[in-house]
Amino acid sequence: MTSTLWLAGESALLPSRIQMAFTLASHVLLVPLGVALPALTLLMEGIGIARNDPVALKIARRWSVVMAVQFAVGAVTGTILSFEFGILWPRMMGRFGAAIGLGFAIEGLAFFLEAIFIGIYLYGWERLPRRTHFLLGLVLVPAGLLGAFGVLSANAWMNTPGGVTLQSGRLVDVDAMAALFTHALGYEFWHFLVAIYMTAGFAVASVYAVAWLRGRRDHYQRLAFLVPFTVAAALTPFQLVIGDLSARALVGDQPAKFAAMEITWKTRDQNPEVVGGLIDDAGNVRFGLSIPVLDSLLVGYSPNAVVRGLTDFAANARPSTVEANITHLAFDAMVGLGTVGAALSAWYFWVLLRRRRLPDSRWFYRLAALSGVGCYLAVESGWVTTEVGRQPWIVYGLMRVSDAVTSAPASFVWTMLATLVVIYGLLAYFFVTLLLRLAARWRREDLQAGPAPEEGAPYGPRPARLPGVESS
Amino acid sequence: MNLVPDLIAVALLLSITAYSTAGGVDFGAGIWDLLAGQSARGRQARALIDHAMAPVWEVNNVWLVMAIVLCWTGFPLLFQSTFLSLYPLFALALVGLILRGAFFAFRHVADEPRSHRIADLVFGASSVLTPFFFAASLGAIASGQVGVNGPSQSVLAASFNPMSISFGLVSVAATAFSGASFLVGDARRYGAGELVGYFRRRAVAAAVVLIVMGSVALVTIGLEAPALLRSMLAGRGLPFALATMILTPLVAVLHARAIFRWYRVLTVAAVGSMVMAWGFAQSPYMLPGRLTIAQAIAPPGTQALLLIVGAGLVVVIVPAMALLYYLDQRSALDAPEA
Repeated sequence: MTSTLWLAGESALLPSRIQMAFTLASHVLLVPLGVALPALTLLMEGIGIARNDPVALKIARRWSVVMAVQFAVGAVTGTILSFEFGILWPRMMGRFGAAIGLGFAIEGLAFFLEAIFIGIYLYGWERLPRRTHFLLGLVLVPAGLLGAFGVLSANAWMNTPGGVTLQSGRLVDVDAMAALFTHALGYEFWHFLVAIYMTAGFAVASVYAVAWLRGRRDHYQRLAFLVPFTVAAALTPFQLVIGDLSARALVGDQPAKFAAMEITWKTRDQNPEVVGGLIDDAGNVRFGLSIPVLDSLLVGYSPNAVVRGLTDFAANARPSTVEANITHLAFDAMVGLGTVGAALSAWYFWVLLRRRRLPDSRWFYRLAALSGVGCYLAVESGWVTTEVGRQPWIVYGLMRVSDAVTSAPASFVWTMLATLVVIYGLLAYFFVTLLLRLAARWRREDLQAGPAPEEGAPYGPRPARLPGVESS
Repeated sequence: MNLVPDLIAVALLLSITAYSTAGGVDFGAGIWDLLAGQSARGRQARALIDHAMAPVWEVNNVWLVMAIVLCWTGFPLLFQSTFLSLYPLFALALVGLILRGAFFAFRHVADEPRSHRIADLVFGASSVLTPFFFAASLGAIASGQVGVNGPSQSVLAASFNPMSISFGLVSVAATAFSGASFLVGDARRYGAGELVGYFRRRAVAAAVVLIVMGSVALVTIGLEAPALLRSMLAGRGLPFALATMILTPLVAVLHARAIFRWYRVLTVAAVGSMVMAWGFAQSPYMLPGRLTIAQAIAPPGTQALLLIVGAGLVVVIVPAMALLYYLDQRSALDAPEA
């Protein structure tokens, strides 16, 4: 412990980790709407076309503006991330770039497709024939999936590296398919994909849950709530299963991470499941609720199932106590939020299927209004679980974070971090202001006919005439 | 012989070229925004710039991301060496990049004239700094100061030397030149007659500055990296060096005489040739005298997948871009006239 702190003072390890965590945490916030909002928008547009419903088309068109502005912000924060791989972790990329880069190459292709088709989709409203516009927009759905696949393939490779031949630490051969499809990809991909579709659905629906609470009960509000909420609620039970399978797979794939998630200190059978709680350096669990034998039951379906503990791994090959506690609490937060989401979804479908109408309880809409924020917290928690739980490895079992870090002085990285925090703060402020302003204008317009939804957004179709310039 | 590695290296060079030309037009527009001033004409120019940039806001980052992904996947050792040596330049370029993105958005949020002016200023300044530092990194590589696994002397000496600074200055002049040249087209398209002349004059001025800067850079290369200069003027870089030396004045002449044909294509060709002249003159070295394409290339399995992705790019992206271009040129993507 003291040695890591001392190292952190000497090298740029600590600020580099904080900077990566900060910029990734920010970018992750943009991912759910970036990948999944196009699908919801197209679903709404499809409903609008099929039922010839102008309200559905209006909703889809407004969502597409949010989608595009957020894509532009995500393009910036994503570009920053790719450079940080070089600025902060040059040695990881130098040694393993040929393997970990494969997923990113595929993601690059997807990014390209998205950029082009978001442009076409956004500018094509009412300028392209309806059906053509819809069909061109459909490209965005597989493009988003492909992008998510690429990034998760790279992350899965860091968790369960494969497909590489090393000679005295040097990468001499790569089996591209084996490196792209490593063991962790199977569960990481589906877990994350369902998570971001759920998040997008709940987040969008929560806006209209607030509108309901404020007394808006028209066709517009109803439709804009119903479609995304139904998609998200329908996915929630699947997520419980996928999440369970993922945790179970970690027992074999990344046992040290699993031990941290459950703060299991010593390898044992009849292992309790600790909900909340913290572990200290001596392996004592404080606070929290300990449910006897449950962890063993969950892992091996038997009270006698043996669960590996943190002390099974050398102290320099497992998460530190602090890291284990962070991993554990993040994991519990994710599971807890997921469970609340499942309960809310059950309530929704109960009313929908039994009474054939939307719920009309204020408490339901209060929870629904919080579901978006809850999902974002769950996504962040899940990401913290997988990243902090992998410590001290940047590539599990092959390279430590401290061996990958830049040789730049700590002061340089601290300065860069402080600068980025300020600029990201500004960016977030501008982004939120812009969205609020668009929302306020759309509310006004619902009372009277106004300009196209995109007007005033920095990313949108241009009027054919230049404002304030006389034609000649 | 080394066909696939060379192909991947060319793809990397093409991505850098695409970012320099397409992104350059964007950065250049930002530079003219900064220089437009607060006069009535300046405000008109700024409105045109805003109008022209809106649909491509930050989309040019795809080229940058492609270049960086190709670099770390295809040439991991080059990537590591470059970043270990030049991280200050990349950090500064990144700060410029994100400030630019943030304040372009802010221009549409700012109400008060004062905060609007601040937004204009930050946006414009970052449009100068970003291309400067990105191009400076290419100059630093060309200077031979980037060694395998770290700078040959110090990070500071590798990042800031006559070569890196002269490459940076050339790129600022080149982006101003291509920005003005394309804004002539935008002004024509939106029927802003007075601005056509405004940006024509600026395109000519920028071309003159670019020619001066380019000559200074050639002298710097001659002094600092004579082998590179030889290769530029008598080796593989020659066709591209010749192209840029002929095309830059030619575009200036077209603008000076108000001949509205071919000027955009030729602008792209002039700036693109400049980047290609550097890349080809340096080949087969990625780090002059230290690391060749054959030494830096990733293992065969990775090369094969990059080829597949590259083929996907050609098969999928080219038709998609053609579609976008077709719709844009038909003005199918502009709002119908009121």
